[in-house]
Amino acid sequence: MSTVSPAGDEAVRLERFTTRIASGDQIEAGEWMPEQYRFEALRLIQMHANSEIMGALPEREWIPRAPTLARKMALTAKVQDEVGHGMLLYRVAETIGRPREEMYAELVEGRARFHNVFHYPAETWADVAIIQVFVDGAAMQTQGALRSCSYAPYSRVLKRICYEEDFHIQLGLDVWRALAEGTPAQRAMLQDALNRWWTPIIHFFGMPDRVSPHTEAMLAWRLKVKSNEELRQQFLRRFVPVILEYGLVVPDPGLRWLETEQRYEYTEPDWDELKRVGRNGGPKSAERLALRQSFYRQHAWVREALSRWSQAAA
Amino acid sequence: MTVPASSVALGDPAVRAAFREWLLRIADDELAIGHRHAEWTGVGPDIESDVAMSSIAQEELGHARLLYEQIAGEAPGAVDRLAFGRPPSEFRNAVLLEQPNQGWEFSITRLALYEAFESVRFGLLARSGQEPVAALAATLAREERYHGLFAATWLERLAGASVDAGGRVQAALDVAWPYALGFFETTDADGVLLRAGLVSDSAERQRDVWEAAVRPLLERCALTPPVAEPRLGGRRGVHTPALGEMHAAMTEVWASDPEARW
Amino acid sequence: MTPRGVEAARRTEAPWVRTLEAADGVWAVFLQARRRDAHVHVGDVHAPDAEMALVLAKENYARRDPCVSLWVVPARAIRGTASDAADMFEPATDKSYRFGGSYRQQQRVYRGGYSAGPTEDDR
Repeated sequence: MSTVSPAGDEAVRLERFTTRIASGDQIEAGEWMPEQYRFEALRLIQMHANSEIMGALPEREWIPRAPTLARKMALTAKVQDEVGHGMLLYRVAETIGRPREEMYAELVEGRARFHNVFHYPAETWADVAIIQVFVDGAAMQTQGALRSCSYAPYSRVLKRICYEEDFHIQLGLDVWRALAEGTPAQRAMLQDALNRWWTPIIHFFGMPDRVSPHTEAMLAWRLKVKSNEELRQQFLRRFVPVILEYGLVVPDPGLRWLETEQRYEYTEPDWDELKRVGRNGGPKSAERLALRQSFYRQHAWVREALSRWSQAAA
Repeated sequence: MTVPASSVALGDPAVRAAFREWLLRIADDELAIGHRHAEWTGVGPDIESDVAMSSIAQEELGHARLLYEQIAGEAPGAVDRLAFGRPPSEFRNAVLLEQPNQGWEFSITRLALYEAFESVRFGLLARSGQEPVAALAATLAREERYHGLFAATWLERLAGASVDAGGRVQAALDVAWPYALGFFETTDADGVLLRAGLVSDSAERQRDVWEAAVRPLLERCALTPPVAEPRLGGRRGVHTPALGEMHAAMTEVWASDPEARW
Repeated sequence: MTPRGVEAARRTEAPWVRTLEAADGVWAVFLQARRRDAHVHVGDVHAPDAEMALVLAKENYARRDPCVSLWVVPARAIRGTASDAADMFEPATDKSYRFGGSYRQQQRVYRGGYSAGPTEDDR
């Protein structure tokens, strides 16, 4: 309408958009969305995609060394899934507006972020069990909640991702059980891995959210469905019993269940470490990025060849 | 009760040993290339191909496992003792398959050469009359079809994209070809199996069939196999240092406690 | 193409029509799980051509799920109804007259006839 100014138009659209999401509706690829929503959704999904791609690396190191043929096949399939998730997620991020090539290059050049847990070393075979059970278990809490997020292409992809993550957790529990019920050396290796991974896993969910306009906007837009602390508690309720069941020790002497509050109390971790790690300052950040860079450079001619081929084929 | 002819053949210890050696070659081939291909998981040239190559690796490892089971039986741990418990000198894989991946073009070229060979060999095994292995071979051949398709699709695109890319693939072929001829290296076992009628084609004949499949693909890609002597050794347990390196990684955890359940 | 067709192609699409924005080399993948099922969109792949797209789609989308056939289509060739056109799919008036369930009164007689039928197939 000519009587409505462009700015007024924008306000009407924004209101309609917000109302739709509040009513539980989801946004499709290619639809109008507020710039802030686009920015936040892209940041969330790109970070998720980056994490899957970088998350393939720690476990990948154990594929050549997996101790049985069955484990070797299953671990390969598991890492393959992570790579596949990266593919699905970059595609979703593309629908919000950035080419995959650009996002991938940004990751490789160390200008993008990925989840804290993938900046740590996988030192022994037992780390594979810990990653599959606890890291994937942690991711499952976040991703499971986000299945009801407001961006429909993301929620569709998360459905498949969660299905595959469940396989990872089941597989991990099988490795976990073999080691937990194994020789004293195997049990010791498992406990050691658990000790090293505990803090990164507690970090995984992020600092407890501050009450801020940002958090509120994210919740209102359903780009965040549960608070960091809710997800961390959900994770602890699910996985602390797994540790105790097998007679292993939770590596936090301060951890206890508060019956009245129905939540776990835990020792406050060093949040500065999380910030440092998140800025690619973790113990393995540089090495893993260097590996990505080296393969990326090595394959420049392959990308070039395929692009020439597709031009010729077009 | 009539005893099947195949059982009669395997009643001869020499034939039985030769047949076992043949199965071991096939299984070791699958394990070696499966191990190398699995190393691409997570670092492939593009995300989709990374995923696809990983499936191929898993299937090759799966084939190795089923074939080892034919040799070692189904007792718990028997397959892994066979796969992880032998020194490199007891491996019978062709040396081509233990070579490191080097580059994507090398892996693709090797895969194309290997799959053509696999289809010849699984055909022979399926016609060996030895059940249940023969039926197994026919089943496994089904998965190999996709592997060959993947290799050929990639090879054609890389080789045909540009002079630079074509040159890289040709260089990979120059390296891989003499090793690939090692697929057909023979030992006494080959003669025994031929005479007993378990294998219907001589190694020379197998190579002809293989070349008849491989050369048209290479021609389509404007690639020329070099004139070179075969690089042998694998079928006799004489390997390149690459196997030692691969074997050390592969057995690292298992060998830390071979009796443990992992 | 006839001149009329060219003109039609150049025409700006109607506001309720949506073109999927996708880069060159993005292929939409459609998977058929069983012969009796239709092909369903399961996701996309990046590939330099259709043949490679099919090769890659197989392991990216059919490594676990049952599949008997795949289709790939350049993603940007897809036209759809825009999301804000979703309204027009919502029936505004009672459409129950289209459904068998709305005519339940004689159901007992009808099903009864079947169950009294002579063969298994009739039931």
